[in-house]
Amino acid sequence: MEQILQVLISGIFSGGIYALASVGLALIFGVVGLVNFAHGEYLMLAMYIAYWIFNISGLDPYQSLLINLVAMAVIGYITFKVIMERVLDSDHSIQMLLTLALSMVLQNFALMCWKADYRNIRIDLTNDTMHLGFLTFNTPRVLAFLIAISASILLYLFLQKTFTGAAMRAISQNGKAAQLMGINIKRTYCLAFVIGTTLVGLAGLLLSPIYPAYPTVGASFSTLAFIVVVLGGLSSVPGAIVGGLLIGVIESFAGYFAGAAYQQAAYFLLFILVLIFKPNGLFGRS
Amino acid sequence: MIRKLLFKQNLVLWVIAVGSIIVPFFLPNKYFQDIAVMTFLWAGLATSWNLYSGYCKRLSIGHAAYLGIGAYTSSLLYLNFGISPWIGMLAGGALSAVAALIIGGTTLRLKGTFFVLSTIAFAEILKVITITSKEITAGALGLMIPFKPAFANMIWHGKIPYAILTWIYMIIVLMISVKLEKSRLGYSLIALGENQQAAENLGVNSTKSMLIAFIMSAVLTSFGGTLFAQYVMFIEPTSVMSLTNSVNFILLAIAGGLGTAFGPMIGSFILTPVSNLLRGYIGGISGLHGFILGMVLIVILLFKPDGILPQLKQLFRNLFTKREKSGKGV
Repeated sequence: MEQILQVLISGIFSGGIYALASVGLALIFGVVGLVNFAHGEYLMLAMYIAYWIFNISGLDPYQSLLINLVAMAVIGYITFKVIMERVLDSDHSIQMLLTLALSMVLQNFALMCWKADYRNIRIDLTNDTMHLGFLTFNTPRVLAFLIAISASILLYLFLQKTFTGAAMRAISQNGKAAQLMGINIKRTYCLAFVIGTTLVGLAGLLLSPIYPAYPTVGASFSTLAFIVVVLGGLSSVPGAIVGGLLIGVIESFAGYFAGAAYQQAAYFLLFILVLIFKPNGLFGRS
Repeated sequence: MIRKLLFKQNLVLWVIAVGSIIVPFFLPNKYFQDIAVMTFLWAGLATSWNLYSGYCKRLSIGHAAYLGIGAYTSSLLYLNFGISPWIGMLAGGALSAVAALIIGGTTLRLKGTFFVLSTIAFAEILKVITITSKEITAGALGLMIPFKPAFANMIWHGKIPYAILTWIYMIIVLMISVKLEKSRLGYSLIALGENQQAAENLGVNSTKSMLIAFIMSAVLTSFGGTLFAQYVMFIEPTSVMSLTNSVNFILLAIAGGLGTAFGPMIGSFILTPVSNLLRGYIGGISGLHGFILGMVLIVILLFKPDGILPQLKQLFRNLFTKREKSGKGV
């Protein structure tokens, strides 16, 4: 029983990071209509930025949080202006291929600049643990979970409570009508894209003390984020949060009962089942 | 009159396709001959991919799965039971057909984005299964095919026989593709790619047409998988069934011209040699090769999403008209 509870909670903790990595993808899909296969690459870039800042200046990822987020926002902005803005009206398959190519470029860019080595950030906190009754938690994981969930909820509140957030929701419901109501559609697209990349960057930064950075680290999180987002109903931010937590728990239990090799197989299987039986997501209305 | 005939039947493109077989005989060494083999093989594979995804405009980003089924089925039959890869190739094709029937049956009706994601998911699941069932597939270690040259083993000395074999494969797939373009099925697929709703209203049986094309595409890709395994003589799950391979099918097809019979071949004739030579000359810097390929794809998508085939056809046409004019002067 104790072990089961431990497995459950560690699943929820990973799930928090998955949720944060996925909300940006859901936002970009919902507002801009882009299926961004390069999403995970931004997570990878943020991990490398955290690593290099730590290596050069000694600032740990939590101290360099602000610099990192600004850098991710700038990278997101440049991507949108240089590439994405040109294909907003193109065919969906062209857009998907473009983000796929972008992911290839960014991955190989990382491989070129920083080699395939695993790069760890070792700070005092890395192996620190917290205790609660019979349960043991790794401190960076607890921190990551708390920050990730707060950021995801902040995004949700932003969408619900602010004018710009309402504009984004309006666009995701009907772009043309939103434009007729006087919403600057391009600027909102750009903002949504930048928020999306910044949030996934934050996820990368939170991961960096507990997970090594390497060029293809983003790819695995990309597929994961896609599964989460489909579970959550593709363009729904709250759906992505719940989907992330769910995937975290499933992965954790599959790893505990069937072995680490089957973790991936478990959520891919769930993914296909959802695609076939509930293509609007677990919580979506048909 | 002759000119009309030429362009109506894509004769120039056929001449390029058929004539390309003489190239490997003039190449100075094994290194360049290897590039020729890869060019033919990838041309065939990209054309196979194009049969479904190109005409329907519905991307499969999981076709490496069928490449893997073809490669693993023939190799396992050969290594465990000594069954000739020629038969193994057919067995792999049959298995791929079954897999495509099951996968296609469940996912083809999904809407665009969901379909694309499901193809990736299936390829990933297959990869995980191949890695984890170590007793059968040797897992991540991969399979090594011993070098025993014989026609029955589909293994030869030198590269030339492989070049001929992969060229025949390419020509067969190309013939099927050209035939398809002019068939009822082909027209249905193109109509579905343009506007599914409209096509269905006009009486196109979308599920049936798509399923047939999907299975054809999977089987032909799987044949290519067997050729790949017999040529490289070493296969492992992460390299055969990788997303990179799936993307490469698409890259070649889109560079040449998506949804055209000759486009993927032209794409491979240009990009495969360039990519291999790049890898050869700048292989010291890992990543640079993939970086350049990705950049090429981005540039094509942004500025030439129709590929280079339309341009090429225009070029032929211009060349021909000029020659005709100068002919008049003489």
